[in-house]
Amino acid sequence: MSFLTPLYLIGAIGLAIPIILHLLHDRPKNKQVFGSLMFLDKTKPPVDRKRRPTHLLLLLLRCLALLLLVFVFARPFVTVDDPEATGKRDRQWLTVLLDRSASMQRGDLWIQAKGNVLTAIEQLSPGDHFALYAFDNKADLLIDVTSWQGSASEGEVKQLLERLDKPSFGGSNLGQALVFAGEAIQEYEANPDEQPLVMHDILVISDIQKGSRLGDVQGYEWPTGIKVSFDQIGEDDQGNCGVEQVAARSLWAVTESVPSFRISNSSNSSTDEFDFVAQISDSNKTLSQKVHVPPGRSRVIEFPNEWLDQSINQLSLRGDVSDFDNIFYIAQEKQQSVRLVYIGEDKPDDAEGSLFYLKSAFQKTSALNFDVQFISGQSTASLPEADLYVVGDTLNEKLSASLDKAVRLGSTALVIVHSEKQTSNIKQWLDAPNLVIDDVKSKDYGLLQSLKLDHPILSVFRDSRYSDFTNLHFWNYRELQNLPKEGVQVLAQFDTGPPAWLLASREKGRLIVMTSGWRPTDSQLALSTKFIPLLYSVLQPVLESKTQSRQFFVGDQIKISKFNNGNVAGSISIIPPGKEDASIKVGDVFLPDKPGLYKVMGTDWSDIFAVNILPSESRTEPIPMDQFQKLGLPMNDLAATPEQLASSVAKEKTEAQRHEYWQWALAAMLLFVIIETFLAAKGSRTGELITAS
Amino acid sequence: MEIKSLSLRARAVVEGFMSGLHRSPRNGFSTEFTEYRQYSQGDDVRFLDWKVMARNDREFIKKFEDETNLRCTFMVDFSKSMEFGGDDSGVKKSDYGRTLAASLTWFLLQQRDAVGLATFDRDVREFIPPRYRQDQLNTILGRLETQPVGQVTDLCQALNKLASLVGKRGMIVLVSDFLTPIADLEKSLNLFTAAGHDVRVVQLLDQRELNFDFEDAAIFEDMESGRSLILDPSLARESYLEKIKAHNAALDDTFSAQGITSFRVTTTEPMELVLLRFLQQQPARAVVRQRRSTGRTAA
Repeated sequence: MSFLTPLYLIGAIGLAIPIILHLLHDRPKNKQVFGSLMFLDKTKPPVDRKRRPTHLLLLLLRCLALLLLVFVFARPFVTVDDPEATGKRDRQWLTVLLDRSASMQRGDLWIQAKGNVLTAIEQLSPGDHFALYAFDNKADLLIDVTSWQGSASEGEVKQLLERLDKPSFGGSNLGQALVFAGEAIQEYEANPDEQPLVMHDILVISDIQKGSRLGDVQGYEWPTGIKVSFDQIGEDDQGNCGVEQVAARSLWAVTESVPSFRISNSSNSSTDEFDFVAQISDSNKTLSQKVHVPPGRSRVIEFPNEWLDQSINQLSLRGDVSDFDNIFYIAQEKQQSVRLVYIGEDKPDDAEGSLFYLKSAFQKTSALNFDVQFISGQSTASLPEADLYVVGDTLNEKLSASLDKAVRLGSTALVIVHSEKQTSNIKQWLDAPNLVIDDVKSKDYGLLQSLKLDHPILSVFRDSRYSDFTNLHFWNYRELQNLPKEGVQVLAQFDTGPPAWLLASREKGRLIVMTSGWRPTDSQLALSTKFIPLLYSVLQPVLESKTQSRQFFVGDQIKISKFNNGNVAGSISIIPPGKEDASIKVGDVFLPDKPGLYKVMGTDWSDIFAVNILPSESRTEPIPMDQFQKLGLPMNDLAATPEQLASSVAKEKTEAQRHEYWQWALAAMLLFVIIETFLAAKGSRTGELITAS
Repeated sequence: MEIKSLSLRARAVVEGFMSGLHRSPRNGFSTEFTEYRQYSQGDDVRFLDWKVMARNDREFIKKFEDETNLRCTFMVDFSKSMEFGGDDSGVKKSDYGRTLAASLTWFLLQQRDAVGLATFDRDVREFIPPRYRQDQLNTILGRLETQPVGQVTDLCQALNKLASLVGKRGMIVLVSDFLTPIADLEKSLNLFTAAGHDVRVVQLLDQRELNFDFEDAAIFEDMESGRSLILDPSLARESYLEKIKAHNAALDDTFSAQGITSFRVTTTEPMELVLLRFLQQQPARAVVRQRRSTGRTAA
């Protein structure tokens, strides 16, 4: 017999208490009445060392009850070997998730991690199951549970780990890996031919850095019976500092913007002085700037003026303890050209017309170059190609047909209805032969209502801060009657009922009709804050198909078709950084696996894009363990090493196999206490009777 | 205490005692002249001293001691503590005390003296005024026969009350164990002595109350309060003896200060000897008064 908590056996010393009490507190049995006790003082209780304890049965019961109480606390058990159950109990399933994200490149973390995988394998019993996943942005199955052959497979795992000489440059998606492993266990369990396993453990061997993404675990209903333990490595981390580019807020806000970068220093960092160094492309020349970032803080650095004219392709941070994320690659953004054609009679400098405001809205930015052309609606010249046509007046038949054709082929046209004369044009474009345009005669101004803010064109205003259109007044507007019932979508109405903005899909293209324009005589639209976002929103599909950022992260899916203003044809090849001669033929999507400057080449064009490590990887402080508990993960232990995990597994096995007796001891103790109470009560009653007689 | 009847017991005691008594008790209780007083109108002319009037031509009244015989009141403690005793150490204190009172009653009534009885514990329980009647003996013996039911003794309170009940001057015989605080006892006794009573005190104690010769440790229970104490007598004896000795000495001082005759009697003493000792004892008070009256006469 063994005891789970043998220290409680010390409590057996307490047995001396009833024995001493029985010896010492033996009250004199004889009673002596006396005239008056006024001359008597209390003396010490009489002690007779020769006296033997009385009420031996009661003493025995009391001692036994105490002894059993001590037993209950010490929890005696006997380990039993049940041959039938052993095979079943011995089996457990250990899934190891090995972190191979970029942050594992620090120091010797990777070697430690691989060593811990082997330690975990050594602790396994012959019948156990084992699966090994390596995860960064995605989880890869290295050792399948079905291919695990016990100790025979250990060599295979060793070889596999030796081949994984370095971690990747990917970001750590721990949440996805956990869900992936959990689901894999569930799927395997669903197989009815398999004998059910007693325990399922997932051991995460990782630096558990704060940048790990855990979003997938949030809201995921964790399967029962699977416990997760964490083997955290790199606890003695000296801190890290990372660089990331500060993204521009919106397309129309990037005019003349200066590139800016956020330098974040982790809270456990030991240094706060860094050198921010810029490498000028095609030369060995560097520019440098001192940066002071206290631990736990971040700082946004804008390029100094003397750097702006330089072609910089690489930034680096010097003075940081961990250097895996200290280089940031920059590919200079190329301006995309967007062509706009205004068809109407307006003068470009006429503040009473529409063109003036259109040109003002589409200003040149660092990323976009707008080419705004204007032609008369009665022009005999052919319709120029454009990404967006804006129609402000009546078109002659030729132009009208050309525009209709261009829209059907994929262009976007924004038609502003200014007069009833445009009826024939719009009839043609909307396929509405009975269409009537009617000037709405109203003394009061019109307001917009029933805006479809869920539609992509108006979704920019969905936020309640921007969805107030009551300050936008329309002095003149028209009503389109007899509109076709299908193919025309009303995006907004006037408060009097007629539609204000319409969207009609024309085969590949789109036709947007506004029954009131932005001329000052028509409305306040051109002067309102809604104007530019609305125009950009109309243009958005065009921009999306043509523009391509040149900054990517490892693991991003890069759409090749967007390069070269969307004019990509023929075979495309990509030259990875540092390997000029090793071009890779790619299809539609390319997944970069390491940071650097990549060159993409078409038949008659080439472009450069930069790939960096995810900024979240730079946040190397460990995640507090209680965050996992908050996410609802059933934790095995807050921070378990493989040895601890193995010992806990062994302990659970022992718990399953042992027979405990504390319940019986408790029951016997209660029985003894009841008998003792009964006997003591009986004894005291007898005593009273003797006294009375 | 083989004889159960108190009356028989009293008679046996007195007869045994009388057989050896040679002097008549009457000699000591005759009437006697006390003083002259000038006649004032309304006085009974029978008491005029004609001889003095004839000689001096002045009217004087002769004053005498009370015409009656001795008026004796027994005050017997009926509290619970008097129930102590009765096994191998003799009789209970209450039995001894009641027998003593009964014997004296019988004896005094034989001599045609008026006898009364008062019983008390913390208050006066019974009071029979002193009388000389045919049935007085039966009345007193009947009262004495009843078992004491009292609890705690409060001697002073009882005595204060009795002082107002006992009228004419006479003899007061107080029988008690005096196992009670005696701080105010002197004041209470003074009420009697100041009224001219001849107070005689019999302090009844059990032999074990004097010696505390218990052997085994036991739960000692106070008969009056019911309080109990676990005691090892060998440890407690010394202190007990010291305290009871001091208590008795204090009592003696109180009695002698008041000119009270006191007897300390244990229940093992033969009662005839006690009676003899009691009757032979001259009243200390009488001595004092005689001396005082002599002085006055001389003046």
